Amino acid sequence: MESQAEQREIIVKVRRYNQEKGEYWQEYKLLVDRFTQMTEVLRRIKSEQDPTLAYRASCHMAVCGSCAMKINGEPRLACKTLALDLVKKYDSNQITVEPMDYFKVQKDLIVDMDDFYTRMFKVKPRLYPSKEVTEGNGEHRLRPEDQRELWKFAQCIWCGLCVSSCPAVRIDQDFLGPAAHAKGYRFLADPRDTIYDERLKILADSAWRCTYCYQCFNVCPRDVEPVTTIKKTRAHTRFLKEKTEVVKTGEKHVKAIFDSIRETGKLEEAKVYITTYGLAEAIRDMFYTMRNGKVNLALIREKKVTQIDQIQKLMGEDE
Amino acid sequence: MDKLLYDAVVLGGGLAGLMSAHEIASAGYKVAVISKVFPTRSHSSSAEGGIAAYVRGNSDPNDNPDYMTYDTVKGGDYLVDQDAAELLSQKSGEIVEIMERWGTLFNRQPDGRVALRYFGGQTYPRTRFVGDKTGMALLHTLFERVSGLSVDFYSEWFAVDLVLDEKRVAGVLAMEMKSMEPVLFKAKAVVLATGGMGMLYAHTTNAYINTGDGYSMALRAGAALKDPEFVQFHPTALYPSDILISEAARGEGGILKNNKGERFMTRYAPKKLDLAPRDIVSRSITIEIREGRGFPGGYVGLDLTHLGESYIKERLALAYEAAMSFAGVDATKEPIPVRPAQHYYMGGVDVDITGKNSDLQGLFAAGEVACVSVHGANRLGSNSLLETLVFGRETGRAVVEYLRKHEESSSTTLEKEAEKLLDDAYTFVKSESGVHFGEILNKLRQVMWDDVGIFRNEDLLKTALSEVEKLRAQVKSMYVTDKSKTYNTEFFNALELRNMMDLAVIIAKSALTRTESRGAHYRTDYPERDDKNWLKHTLAYLKGNQVEIGFKPVTMTRWQPEARVY
Repeated sequence: MESQAEQREIIVKVRRYNQEKGEYWQEYKLLVDRFTQMTEVLRRIKSEQDPTLAYRASCHMAVCGSCAMKINGEPRLACKTLALDLVKKYDSNQITVEPMDYFKVQKDLIVDMDDFYTRMFKVKPRLYPSKEVTEGNGEHRLRPEDQRELWKFAQCIWCGLCVSSCPAVRIDQDFLGPAAHAKGYRFLADPRDTIYDERLKILADSAWRCTYCYQCFNVCPRDVEPVTTIKKTRAHTRFLKEKTEVVKTGEKHVKAIFDSIRETGKLEEAKVYITTYGLAEAIRDMFYTMRNGKVNLALIREKKVTQIDQIQKLMGEDE
Repeated sequence: MDKLLYDAVVLGGGLAGLMSAHEIASAGYKVAVISKVFPTRSHSSSAEGGIAAYVRGNSDPNDNPDYMTYDTVKGGDYLVDQDAAELLSQKSGEIVEIMERWGTLFNRQPDGRVALRYFGGQTYPRTRFVGDKTGMALLHTLFERVSGLSVDFYSEWFAVDLVLDEKRVAGVLAMEMKSMEPVLFKAKAVVLATGGMGMLYAHTTNAYINTGDGYSMALRAGAALKDPEFVQFHPTALYPSDILISEAARGEGGILKNNKGERFMTRYAPKKLDLAPRDIVSRSITIEIREGRGFPGGYVGLDLTHLGESYIKERLALAYEAAMSFAGVDATKEPIPVRPAQHYYMGGVDVDITGKNSDLQGLFAAGEVACVSVHGANRLGSNSLLETLVFGRETGRAVVEYLRKHEESSSTTLEKEAEKLLDDAYTFVKSESGVHFGEILNKLRQVMWDDVGIFRNEDLLKTALSEVEKLRAQVKSMYVTDKSKTYNTEFFNALELRNMMDLAVIIAKSALTRTESRGAHYRTDYPERDDKNWLKHTLAYLKGNQVEIGFKPVTMTRWQPEARVY
């Protein structure tokens, strides 16, 4: 490895805000080398150039989740971002830094995280072990492979990046958001837990509200894959006792897709739509589609799939 | 000024604070946790390698709690209070079992029981772990647990000072960072659980928030710090960003190598080699570098390559990830560049084994901010997580006992007292011109690193003391340019710097006073341990600008000092 790190000048443009002045952009210039983390960039601006700049940072090693922000438009942890990596990636020595989306800005890069915390507490984020174990009359055993699987999803550091970039959160008040789902699933799937039914009731409806856009998968700095936990939670809904309309529609949708592929080897969108939502609603939505000039897309004729029996063989017998 | 009323207030939302709060709330008392960050952002989350524990039925068959106590006492170069170390060992198994019960996803053995591995200074392996993110796993488990109890959290509130009624702690003055509103928290007992002070040093593995606030609040209120000269330097911080590469890397078989490819620890600790205690390994690396056997820039290599890719990626995920992301080194293919950096502070607020301070009634401390004297002159790896939980719990229980026996302070002057403390805080930053915190801070961190570091001597320490005193005087003319009424972090940085200064002067003076070498305190002018004159604790008080040093005996139960050879 290179030991003597070459220094380069960068220009950092920060989107700032305070109650007195409102929103404005400010530029700073400083020298960095290839090891300089964006948290160091901010610390040096604050201690050497402009002490009024406000931001959160703590561990500088991507375990505390304090320094979530938007850097060159990407939702990132500042500590896990090296300044010169950005310079290289964007081929520009100018780096923009902004507060996270979705959350209300309090000052400069500090946003109000209360909405995020409320989501996390909704999923009862703690283990409810059996009485036998809490009273010390039994011990938990956990298979190494279960530990590995659960630990992957338990590594959420509550940074808020996934929620800040989740489109479903913005339009659907009943969607818990990616982080809460990861947390919820981590306990739902924990064999040591005792409130499975209650957890499933909290999670199942919300799980079917995710749009599978994969933003959370992309932005999570700990690779928790919240969307994977949502998929896994959906697989549990067959154990759900009272199904909500959203869950029923979701299950119908999955079945419609399965049947469509089984019968034709293709995803017949229009047919899947009618089966999922019923004829009446499908017609109503059709008018909406027509008004927006998208109807042609729904009526594209596709070629038939040959050797459909091969597909059916792959998919197995009827459920 | 607004007032809030509690039975007890805990300052700090890391493991020690949360465990104390857990005990206090479980006994039915009204407790507030005040923290300058949301609890899961606390520095406990950065602890990596694990938590030491002797678990009956799940330990090495030859091991027992006595070996664990002995390792801790020897590791601490006999400055450990042996009753404290005994308590730590005896309660270790129970604490790990509790955390497992509450959901911590410890790594497992094939039969489903909690796994264990070697750490520095251990006769038998006893470290329990969750990959190399053990602190994060424990912190989240405990926070989640405590958030289900009736505990009031004041996150992103900055504690300014303790409020006294004569020789008794009667509350805390704190400010909400969002609104900048000061509030007097009246309480019968206050637990300091504010963590360490790594930001005093130019090179540290610590979080930015570790500015030693609790030490200085205690000092200003008149309580003593015990053994403040003992600062731990971790041997393997990633070059150059000082991110911790866990001792687990060596526990799992990693080897330190100099620029000649030599395993140099064979010269310094022929038996324990790379797994000698941290003070010894840090000095060895520094000598290698100083004598020209380091790599340009000043580091050595930590070689994991022989462990194999899949093993590294599972058991040492964070080390692998840190080396890759922050130094551009693939640890499965080449050695990780490492050098020592400040890591832990053995010194702290003087408390007994129940977490109680004897200078001020109603004052308790737990975790890194406290000095129960369980680490002595050098802490063993994976004993700090253990300490936070064991002594966090002991302290919480002692607070409950205390609350049962004590009434609220009847003082009518508390508010006036709090107003005065608030005025003090404002005064020293209200000048219209002068220096701003950054200039002083950078100088302080460099002085502490250069002159109160891994190798010390009289000349260096005298220089340090006079430099620190000069900087401390400058702090009084510090000014805050930011006038905003929400999240004025510049104001809080300035208060943090005031705290760092009060502590720095204590560390420098205590280090100058102790004319021997013991554990992490290494004096090149007094290279030997001197049990005849120095087998005693330092007690340091801050009286205005003066540091007053006293001493107190070390509690010895079974182990007499012997040569510390590894």
